[in-house]
Amino acid sequence: MSRIRRAGRALWEGPVFWHVARYVAAMAILLLVWWIASEVVEAVKGRAFLPNPIRAIAEMARLGPTLFKNFWVSAWRLVLAMLIALGLGYPLGLLIGHERKLDQLISPMIYIIYPIPQVAFILILFLIFGLGNPVKVAIVATALFFQILVSARGAAKQIELEHITSVLAAGASRWQVYWHVVLPATLPSILTSLRVSVGLGMAFLYIAETTGSFDPWRGGLGSFIDSNIYSGPQAFAGIMAMALLGLSLYILIEIIERVVCRWKHVSRRGS
Amino acid sequence: MIDIRDVVIEYGRGERAVLAVDGITLRIEPGESLALLGPSGCGKTTLLFSVAGLIRPKRGDIAIGGEPVTGPRGEIALILQNAGLLPWKTVWQNANLSLRLGGDYPQKTAASALEELGLGGVRSRFPAELSEGMKRRVGIARALSTAPSVMLMDEPLASLDTLTKERIQDLFLKLWLERRFALVLVTHDIEEAAFLGGRVAVLTERPARVKTIVENPGLGDLDYRETEEFLGIVARLREALEEGTQ
Repeated sequence: MSRIRRAGRALWEGPVFWHVARYVAAMAILLLVWWIASEVVEAVKGRAFLPNPIRAIAEMARLGPTLFKNFWVSAWRLVLAMLIALGLGYPLGLLIGHERKLDQLISPMIYIIYPIPQVAFILILFLIFGLGNPVKVAIVATALFFQILVSARGAAKQIELEHITSVLAAGASRWQVYWHVVLPATLPSILTSLRVSVGLGMAFLYIAETTGSFDPWRGGLGSFIDSNIYSGPQAFAGIMAMALLGLSLYILIEIIERVVCRWKHVSRRGS
Repeated sequence: MIDIRDVVIEYGRGERAVLAVDGITLRIEPGESLALLGPSGCGKTTLLFSVAGLIRPKRGDIAIGGEPVTGPRGEIALILQNAGLLPWKTVWQNANLSLRLGGDYPQKTAASALEELGLGGVRSRFPAELSEGMKRRVGIARALSTAPSVMLMDEPLASLDTLTKERIQDLFLKLWLERRFALVLVTHDIEEAAFLGGRVAVLTERPARVKTIVENPGLGDLDYRETEEFLGIVARLREALEEGTQ
């Protein structure tokens, strides 16, 4: 037990402490820049278009339970959409990247669809899914699907031939090549793609949550910000909650990467 | 035991087809060691991969123990240029890979191979934590884990410093003398071919053909490198390689 406590303390006093310290410092700097900007805007325009951060934080505290409820609604929508995009885009991307004939057949179709702004599909998605949660999740998942698909395809194409030869020579079946080489080799790229997806997903979530003002299932931080758009501090309390959601997901992905790609974080110790 | 008969291997199709191996015939007896020596890119690795069952020849036959080679087989082990270790697997998982992939081998062999090669203490490390010499030894442990009767090596010591290279060459020789598997070594290193090849087949530039075969009966002693005979073989191999090239 004391060993675990010692290890925990070493971690806290080492990389984790400095990691947290850097984030706290970054937050302090951002709040300071925000405060200066709000003062400048007020001095120039004569009105507080950009609310003071202290007021926004006070609003955050006041609206706590409401904000918290909306935070969870947005969080599960975003996480579910990311999981759906990952579940569909990752295996398909690996197949296309690894199987040449499939690549020749499917890649042209993907590259025709990929550059189309996914916002253009929103109306179609509303027509297919109607109002409610499914359409919101579908909007975000559609946007992230292509992102993950293209990343997975690229990562599968970058796999070193020697790794595949190595397992084939050891008698691996096609399925075993995927399990022992293609999947682990592409995981770091996919996790990077997931990090990028957090930002993209938040943008689409905002669009999804603010589209259709008559939607009885609105909810979520996007909807909260939209409803308070003319009341600066409240809107900014919602924006800060969104930043917090993004940061939480980044940290979660970082932890997952540390666990599943442990081999990426080791250094040479042998001689 | 390994019969390579008039093997022709081609890459690509139609007008873009590249002839890599052109009519090679060789026979390697059980317990014999043969080095395939040739310039870089001549097609020697292609020939080795076809013996491993990874590439199908366009023409000709390859058989091991009388059975035609149609794909990878448990009795054949292949050691690749950079040991072919998977960076996301630990030393133990890498050494044990063939067994994990469903081969019907005794489970203790990977563990004893690691112990024998002095890697017992680094079982839980990843390849990135090892020196180049240790990585090659893990590759050897994986090959030994299946107790193969045929050991194929594709430039297994490329890009190593001289001392590490010689130490691992010594290890290869020791293992071969102990276990007497049929050894086929692909190399462009003349001294390596002379130290590990009981016979050395010198190949032409691409497409690979057998230029000449040099017998190397003195092989088998760790001090062989310091002998006149070794230097003589090296000189003959150099001459054979240079012959006909510009």
